[in-house]
Parts: sequence; C-alpha cells; structure tokens
Amino acid sequence: MISALLGTAALALVLACALGARPRLWLALNSLGALAGLGSAATVLTGGRGWALRSALTLGGENVFLTLDALSALFLTLVCLVGGLGALYASEYWPDEHFPRSAPRGRSWWSALVLSMGLVLTCANGLHFLFAWEAFALSAYFLITLDRERSEVRRAGWLYLAASHAGTMALFAFFSALAAGVGTWDLGPLRDRPDLAPLFWLALVGFGVKAGMFPLHIWLPSAHAGAPSHVSAIMSAVAVKMGVYGIVRFSGWLPVPDDAGWAVLGIGCASALMGIVFAMAQNDIKRLLAYCTVENVGIILIGLGLALLAAAHGHPAWGHVALAGSLLHVFNHCLFKTLLFFGAGSVLHATGTRDMSRLGGLWRTMPWTAALFAVGAAAVSGLPPLNGFVSEWAIYQGLLKAVAQKGETFGVLPAVIVLAGTGALALGAFAKASAIVFLGAPRGKTSGHAAEFGFAMRAAMVVPAAIMLCVGLMPGYFFNMVQACIAAWTPQWAPAAPPIPVRAIGGAHTALACALAAAAIIALRKVRAGGIRRGPTWDCGYAAPSAHMQYTGGSFAGIVTGWFRWALRPERRIRRVRGYFPESALALERVPETVLEKGIEPAARTVMLLADAARSLQHGRLHLYILYVFLGVTALGMLVFQGGM
Amino acid sequence: MSAIMDILLRLLAWLVLAPLVPGVINKVKAWVACRQGPPVLQLYYDLARLWRKGVVVSTLASPGFVIAPAVAWVAVVGAALLLPLAGAGTPVSFDGDVLLLIYLLALARFCTAWGAMETGSAFEGMGAAREVSYAVLAEVGIITAVLTLVVQSGSISLSSMFAPLPGPSAALLAVGLFIILLAENCRVPFDDPNTHLELTMIHEVMVLDHSGPPLAMILHGASIKLMLFAALLAQTVLPLAELPLAASVAVLALAVLLTAVAVGLVESLTARLAFRRVPLLLTIGFLFCLFPLLLTWMGDI
Repeated sequence: MISALLGTAALALVLACALGARPRLWLALNSLGALAGLGSAATVLTGGRGWALRSALTLGGENVFLTLDALSALFLTLVCLVGGLGALYASEYWPDEHFPRSAPRGRSWWSALVLSMGLVLTCANGLHFLFAWEAFALSAYFLITLDRERSEVRRAGWLYLAASHAGTMALFAFFSALAAGVGTWDLGPLRDRPDLAPLFWLALVGFGVKAGMFPLHIWLPSAHAGAPSHVSAIMSAVAVKMGVYGIVRFSGWLPVPDDAGWAVLGIGCASALMGIVFAMAQNDIKRLLAYCTVENVGIILIGLGLALLAAAHGHPAWGHVALAGSLLHVFNHCLFKTLLFFGAGSVLHATGTRDMSRLGGLWRTMPWTAALFAVGAAAVSGLPPLNGFVSEWAIYQGLLKAVAQKGETFGVLPAVIVLAGTGALALGAFAKASAIVFLGAPRGKTSGHAAEFGFAMRAAMVVPAAIMLCVGLMPGYFFNMVQACIAAWTPQWAPAAPPIPVRAIGGAHTALACALAAAAIIALRKVRAGGIRRGPTWDCGYAAPSAHMQYTGGSFAGIVTGWFRWALRPERRIRRVRGYFPESALALERVPETVLEKGIEPAARTVMLLADAARSLQHGRLHLYILYVFLGVTALGMLVFQGGM
Repeated sequence: MSAIMDILLRLLAWLVLAPLVPGVINKVKAWVACRQGPPVLQLYYDLARLWRKGVVVSTLASPGFVIAPAVAWVAVVGAALLLPLAGAGTPVSFDGDVLLLIYLLALARFCTAWGAMETGSAFEGMGAAREVSYAVLAEVGIITAVLTLVVQSGSISLSSMFAPLPGPSAALLAVGLFIILLAENCRVPFDDPNTHLELTMIHEVMVLDHSGPPLAMILHGASIKLMLFAALLAQTVLPLAELPLAASVAVLALAVLLTAVAVGLVESLTARLAFRRVPLLLTIGFLFCLFPLLLTWMGDI
C-alpha cells in the first residue's frame, strides 16, 4: 500500500518535472503526487508502523534503501501539503502570460524540489541522503533565483548557495565519519554507540544552517524575500524544516553528547529572541516573515533541547511533552507560514511592493487576504484558540514541569522567561505587520487600485487556515499523530500518551471559539441596529488628517528596536530642514542583517585582503622564485640540523 | 450540572462586581483630594448609557473595528473564568491553564491594538506601539511570578498553584505584581484613565475613536481585567486556601478592595512617570518578581 502510494507520488513528480511547460497537466500531476504522498504519510502516522524497502538497485555502489517511519512521515506531510498548495497558488501567481520564460522553468524546479525533499526524508543510506540533500539544495537555488533579472535576487541566491554548501560540507564530514565509524552507509538507530556522540555537533552545524538557526540564519532573510512568494512559502514552511528534520532524526538515532540538550536549548532561545527582534525591525513584509521563521525554529529547538535534556537525565514526563509540542510546532509553523507568505504574495501581486511603509488600507480592496492574514498573524503569535497556542502551550508545559521538578533544571528558568518575551514580541511584530499593511489609510498610490486575487490563490490560503482552526479545536488528533513520531524518536517514551490535558485545551478552545464568534456577531448586529455614523478619524481633533500622519512600521517598532539597538545596529540617514530655502527633509532607516554585514562580511574581507597580500609574492620573476626555494631549503636544512643536535 | 451553575455564577459575579473596582478607586482619589467625586456606581451608569448609544466609526475602519472590542472582551472574561477564587477553586481547571490565562490576555491585547490601528490615527498608532512594546516587559514579569508559584507548589495548574509563599517572597512578589497591575491596567504612574490628551498615554489612547457599545465593552473589559489582576495578586500572596470557604471569600473580597484603595492612593500621591522611565519601572517590577523566584528555588537547597 505504502510502496504503491509512494511510487505513484514519485512517478507523478518525475513526470511533472519533465512536463513543466504544460501548466494544467503539471498541476494535475503535482496534486496527484502530493495527495499520494499525503496518503502514505497518513497511513504511517495513523497505523504507527514504518515502511522499508531495500532494493537490489545500486546507486554509487550502494543499494537503494528507503524507509518511512512516523518521524519522516510527519515531515513528508509538510512537503506534500505545501507542495500541492504551492502548485495551486503558483498557477495563478506566476502564470505563463506574465513570465513566459521563468514560469515553465519554475514549475519543473518546483516538482524537483518537492521530489528531492521527499527523497531526503525517505533515504536511509548516508550516500544517497547526501545526493538527495544536494538535489534539494540545488533545486531550491534555482527556484529562489527564478526572477534572476534582478541583481538583488542573484545576490540572495548566491548567498543561499554559499551558506547551504558550507552546511553541506559539515554534513559530508558527518556522514563520512558516521560511515567510517559504523562500517556501512546505511542509516538507522545506533543508540548503543556512545563513541559516535561527538558527531552530533557536526550534524547540528550542517543541518542548523539549513534550519536557519541563529547565527547561521544569514542566508534566510534575503532568500525568502527575493524569491517568488510560493517559493518563499515552501522554503520557509518546509525547506527550513528539513534542517530541523536532520537534527531531530539524528539526535534520535545516534547517542548525543551530554551537553547537547543545553546547547540546543541555548541556540533555541537565541534564535527565538533574536529572530523576532529582527522581524520586528523589518519594513519589508517578506523579510519580516523570514525572520519570524528564525524565531519559530528557535521555539522548535527549545522544545527539542528540553527533550534531549530529559532523555539525558531520564525524565520522560516533561521531555515527552516538550517533544510533542516541538513536533506539533513544526506542523503548525508550516501551516501559518504558508498562509502568511501566500498572503504577502497576494499583497505583492496586487500592489507591486513589499515595502510596508508604502502600503496600508488594503482591507477595503482585499478583504479575504486581510482576514486570512489576520488569522495567520494571530496563530503565529500563539493566540488561542488557534493552533500556534496549542504547540507553544505544550512546550511551555514541558518547561514548567521541568521547573516544578527542580533539581538540575535551573537553566530552564531563563528559557521560560525568554519564551514569554518572545511570545509578546511576536504579538507586537504581527500586530505591526497586519495593521500597517491592511489597516488605516493607503500610504502610497500603490495600494489604491489593488484588487483581490482569484480562486486558486484564495483556495491555497483557505486550506491552511482551515487546518489551523482544526488543530486549535481538536488538538487530540494531531497529538496522536505526533505521538507516533515520539515513538520513532525514543522507543522508551513510546507507550504513554503525552501527559498533558489535550482534551481540556480542545474543549476550552471550542468554547472560546463559540463565545468569540457569538460576541462578534452580537456586537456587529447591535452596532448596526443602533445606527452607524461614519466620520473622519477624530485624532484628537486634528482638522486635516492625512495618510502621511499615520504611524509607520518603523515608528511602531521604534521602542523595541531602541532596546535592541546593540544587536540591530540600524543605519540612519536623516536630512533635517535647515536654512532659509531648505531641501525637503528625509529620514531613512534600514536594519541590516547584522550577523552577515557586521560579522561575516568584514571577516571575509579580511581574508581576501590577506590573500591579496599573499598574491604579491607571485610575480613571475624567476630569480626571486629561486630565492624562495633557496630560503626554503635553507630553513629546512636549519630545522634538520637543529633536530640532529 | 452543578459545574455549569458554578460557571454561570462566577460569570455573573465577574460581570456584575467588576465595575465596582474603578468606582472605589475614583472614590479614594476624590477622598484624598477632599472632593465628593462621582458615585461608586458611576461606571454602571456609563455602561448602560453607552450600550444604548449609536456608534461613530471612522471612514477608514473595517468591521474589525467593532469585532475587535467584542473579541477582547470575551478573551478577558474567559481569562477571569479560569482564575480560581479563594478556596472555592474553579470548575475549569487543567494543567497549564495558567498559560491559557496569560495568552487570553494577549489575545485581548492583540485585538485592542488592531482596533486602534483601524483608524489610521497617528496618536492611536503610538498607543498601540507602546502597548505591545511595554507588554513584553509586563509579560516577562508575569511569567516570572508564575514560575515562582510553580516552583513553590510543584504544580502547573492554577487551582493548586497558589501554595503559601514564605513571608519575604510573598512581600516581594506582591510589590512586583502590583507594579505590573498598574502598568497593565493603565493606572498612574504609567498611564491615566482620566485624561485623553497627553503624549504619555499608553492604553487609553488606543480607544480614543471608539464609541457606543464597543466602548462599553472596552470599559467593562478593562474593569474585569483590573479585578482579575487584583484577585491574582491577592491569591498569590495570601494563603487563602487554608481558610474555611466563607472566610477565604471574605478575605479575598477585602484584599481586592484594599488593592483598589492602594491603586487610588498611588494615583493620588504620585505623578505620572516621564515616558522614558516606564521601561525602567517595569524592569523593576520584573526584578521584584525575579527575586522571589530565586529565593524559592534556593529555598530547599
């Protein structure tokens, strides 16, 4: 059954790769592939039994060995979900009429990306894993640079490629060392080999680059912002999760060092806090969403780190809960980030700009996008009764239970406080994003004549919103799904259901959702019945309010960016009004990607300078080369002479 | 059946009693200033009048402008229903309900900020920005207080979390929570619910353009939130669960009343804080919550 489904999916996607030039057929094949993949993942997740296939076929001298257990099935669900929805969205968002050259290419690479991510999840041979990983990285590169006429996009693509390969280098080392240590390229549980534990650090770096954990996230903002929106969605919602998958997978299969839990927890805290602070400071809506991905990966890593700690110290009670929350957050983040990037894409589609300081008042022309984006924003801020709260709540429970137990868990206290601060900052960042883009008065001409998009894009946004609501109202089903993954991660924790009152939270959410809906309807009716008078915004009696007087994104975030100036290092250009015939005033503020622009680029420049300096040694003058040889031989001779003494 | 009756009774108690708290505060302020002041029941009259009025809506605003206050009001009421009262516990109790309470307040905050941004007013935008920014510090303080309770009681459910703290911790936590109460409920020295034209406003500025029934919901929600924080503060520091039911309810009521009087005294005797000092005072509030946490953690070692 699973073999048939996966075979169908793979075949459909291979065909779809080849048939990128035929939009309708491609969409049909892609949807078929996604549905078949979802079917196989659902079978594994509900049945709880894994699937394995060892074929006689060899590739690179190794037998093809494919497995699908619950953990890979969870991530396969993400791949197929966004693979299908994104294809639907792309058919309207990136059509042949507007992009005759890049649209067919984009479709082929899209299917290639989905297929290769599926392979990453199913390959149980280190060598093939690396092949699939490379194919995934490359097809993502070609998708990011789809719009390659713009230099900004080419730069983003190059940065992605460089960062991705830096990570892959660590992975090459990891898999080779693993194969050398075990004696085979086959991957699988090796929990009884404590000597392999240090390899975890290699895996953490290698997968961490892809997962976008701070401070290895440098490629993420520009790549997500420059790519077409459906590509941003799959990159942020799924591709980044491949890195998370790697960390979860190998921390489950291999023994980990003692400090791994603390390290992952610490990195998670740093990613969560810095990610959301950077997000808050952005004025580009897609960069904001990209940084928010860093934050959410941080939250996922906090849960995972706690699970590793629990495994190390033998506390299944809270480790189990934290891991369940973490894995559910993987799923949840995929849903709301897809929705939000699709929403940002519709805004971009309609107005031609991602710059929030030129948007505003879009709810009037794009009510669907505004409402769905608001739902996504509430979910990503972890507000009940939506899905984001459910997973954050589970992670919090793990943390609080660890705290309640006291003992060696003192380090968990700061994590709880950081998580709380992160949640409040996320609320601020998303209140800013949705309010500046959709509410108030239009800030520029761009948003004046925007129009709502068509059926395909709307459907692609409604589906994740609906699933989000389901997770919020019926978390039990989804916790069961995650339960199977935990069994795959540590068999010892398998039997018990996560010891948290999932039913109670589902009930509370349902009651809350009913009350909220009722209150909204009653309020609207009451107000309509009482008569609505429309008038200009009062604004303390200011006589001529204009759109330029509104709070901008930058001013909204000003307080928080002020607190974190040490990390953000905003660049300001201010031209004040002065003199009798002043030039027009100007105030520009840009928040750079600090780690990249203040850390890595100067370091790289230093290396280049040193290399340049070294190059002057090579000038083509033969007699000086002979001098080098002479000096070298003399030096060696001295050494030998010294040694002889 | 009795659980449903219990919930309905609590709901009624919260809805009916909450507007008294601002009334008491105003009376105290009047008393300190040797004025007669508005009647204690003034907010009830205001609410009744607002509920009957029509609404003026900005031309820029979407239906969200009306929906947001309703959602915020439900969220605050939901949070209040989660809070166990004195020894009577609560019918809705599960592990981690304290997080739901905190996040329901966050939902209310999101909706208020949303409603403020609807109008496109620079002034309200400023209020929303301040609200969400300062809430970061306030929320960090609240979670620290919760952590203290979790460590003390070993429980993560509100109904069994309020284990009696040792004296010094209780005193510190009371001060910390009181500061957060003032900040979260737009009281002096952070904000002033009585003025509307100052550049140091936080919460109050966000509701400038609301009128009629939505404004009634906002005002009523604010009073519930105030009472919620007062009750939380009282239960955190007083060992109410150890008293017989009637006595603990009486003590709780008295403590809420005293908190209201304290708020009134603070409002009468202090000036509003310079704007740049607000984060400082909130940080002090957080520290007042952090020290009992450390004390409690170290207590057993």
